[in-house]
Amino acid sequence: MKNYLSFVFEAFWNTLKGLWLTLKVLFLPAITVQYPTEKIVPYPRFRGMPAYDSEACIACGMCVRACPSRCIALANAVSSEGKRMPKIAWYTLDYGRCNFCGLCEESCPTKPKAVWHSLDYEAVFGTREEMVRRWKRGDDLWGTAHNSADAQFAAVTDQIHIQDVPVRK
Amino acid sequence: MTEETIKTKFSEPIFNRSHGRLLMPETRYWPTRMWKSPWRLPTYRRGAAVMAGILSGGAAAAWLLGEAGPRVAPLYSLAERYALQQGVPLFLVATVWTLIKAAVLLAVPLVNALFAVWWERKISAHMQSRMGPMYVGWWHGALQTVADGIKLFIKEDIVPECADKFVHLLAPVVVIIPAIVAFAPIPFGRELVYADLDIGTVYVFAVSGVSVMGIIMAGWSSGNKFSLLGGLRSAAQLVSYELPRTFSVIPVIMLAGTLNLSAIAGLQAGYWGGLLPRWFIFYPVVGQVAFAVFLIASVAETNRIPFDIPEAESELVAGFNTEYSGMKFALFFLSEFAYVLLSCLLMAAFFFGGGQPPLPFLGFLPSWAWFLAKTLTLIFCFLWFRWTFPRFRVDRLMNFNWKFLLPVSLLNIAAAGVLIWLLS
Repeated sequence: MKNYLSFVFEAFWNTLKGLWLTLKVLFLPAITVQYPTEKIVPYPRFRGMPAYDSEACIACGMCVRACPSRCIALANAVSSEGKRMPKIAWYTLDYGRCNFCGLCEESCPTKPKAVWHSLDYEAVFGTREEMVRRWKRGDDLWGTAHNSADAQFAAVTDQIHIQDVPVRK
Repeated sequence: MTEETIKTKFSEPIFNRSHGRLLMPETRYWPTRMWKSPWRLPTYRRGAAVMAGILSGGAAAAWLLGEAGPRVAPLYSLAERYALQQGVPLFLVATVWTLIKAAVLLAVPLVNALFAVWWERKISAHMQSRMGPMYVGWWHGALQTVADGIKLFIKEDIVPECADKFVHLLAPVVVIIPAIVAFAPIPFGRELVYADLDIGTVYVFAVSGVSVMGIIMAGWSSGNKFSLLGGLRSAAQLVSYELPRTFSVIPVIMLAGTLNLSAIAGLQAGYWGGLLPRWFIFYPVVGQVAFAVFLIASVAETNRIPFDIPEAESELVAGFNTEYSGMKFALFFLSEFAYVLLSCLLMAAFFFGGGQPPLPFLGFLPSWAWFLAKTLTLIFCFLWFRWTFPRFRVDRLMNFNWKFLLPVSLLNIAAAGVLIWLLS
């Protein structure tokens, strides 16, 4: 009888404990992020979409060698005397093949980095061509993409960026 | 290129606000940090202010509207006098009056379902730290149920090939009609009752028992083994939980000495020592035990978790609802919420003093507002149980009923006898 009563009491008590837990959580703020209207700011070391600064780059080719997906290619600028200069003639990065490992950023010798991962995680591409970006000197951080319809390179306009200017490391 | 030029070119990150609101940096940590001091979050403070506003606004509206019950009878006599002047026969006036009252009563379970579904989704979401519906309607998905209702209306009505077509059609009707008819003797406040039956308690239990028939019919006529299992389990469960549910009310009836629901609610007016209300739940031991048994049995009667064996999704693919779609399914759903409301109204009348205010100085609010507040609190308890407890196993469900609830409710009747003997 005593065992039975203590069993009943314990069951009742545990029931109340469970109820208390859910009641507590009910009055705590929800952790949901309402994504399209609310966005989380990533951690500072988050590896988002790679950005490239054509002015800071010295065209050493370290990132080309470091890239395991072989998505980077570049060409040196050549001076009027036919000498290679520490500047790029062009630089391409295939976002479709990039695996966001960060080795290009790690190997980049300039300070600040010429190629680095921004915090941008909303990389959306309308076409395959938009994934392959090309930079010439003076281009902005996101480069230009080839458009086969008019055979022109142009900046990708409808790209959403969380940041107007990505973080430099 | 020097360091300075680079620094001027690249400033600190400026977050692009044109594509949405970026959350504060601290919200990206897992909520343990956020939950330690939720009052620091401005959104939390705003939400609390809105809730307080809704509560006080509802109370103010109730205070302005005042008592509704005593205004009904003068309205009827006014209509009667007008009919006498125009030469309209009085029985016609009475018929129209009854029809109007019936329409109002019919609206009660419908509006309740509209509200309760939304509430259930919001409360379940917040108990799981989610937000629930947020987009439909202007405020926190307030019109989500309307959208769901429209969806159910335009859905195809599928009747299975091997179903018993007539019984399949009849089953939702048999479930929903008792659920609506059972509201007749329920008081919604002082003098606010459709039919003030002297035998109201028995009527409610008897009529709501008929719904079991509809559930068995649904299970049988679907021609589906899962539906049949669900229907049979439901029959076993509902019939057996009806016993402790009825027995737990007997102490209340013994103490009140009447079966009339509004009389039972009215008897609980007044306060012990000017502070503790004379509600039946505050009668020592007997009241609390009766309430606990009635609450548990009511949750079981309404087929809700943790007693939702008949419509268990994981075991029975939703049991007797499986082969129903569109409005037929909606009728089952409606009857479930109607029964939840009915149980909560009964509990408010039996154990929480109906429209009596909990403290003497709160008497400025009308009785229907207190009745509504108590009923909504009890409905919240139903939702709270649903999102806290896991489902019972079938055999344990029956064990719990026959070996625990029934003996306890019988003992409680004896205890009520002792209490009455002590009080007299």
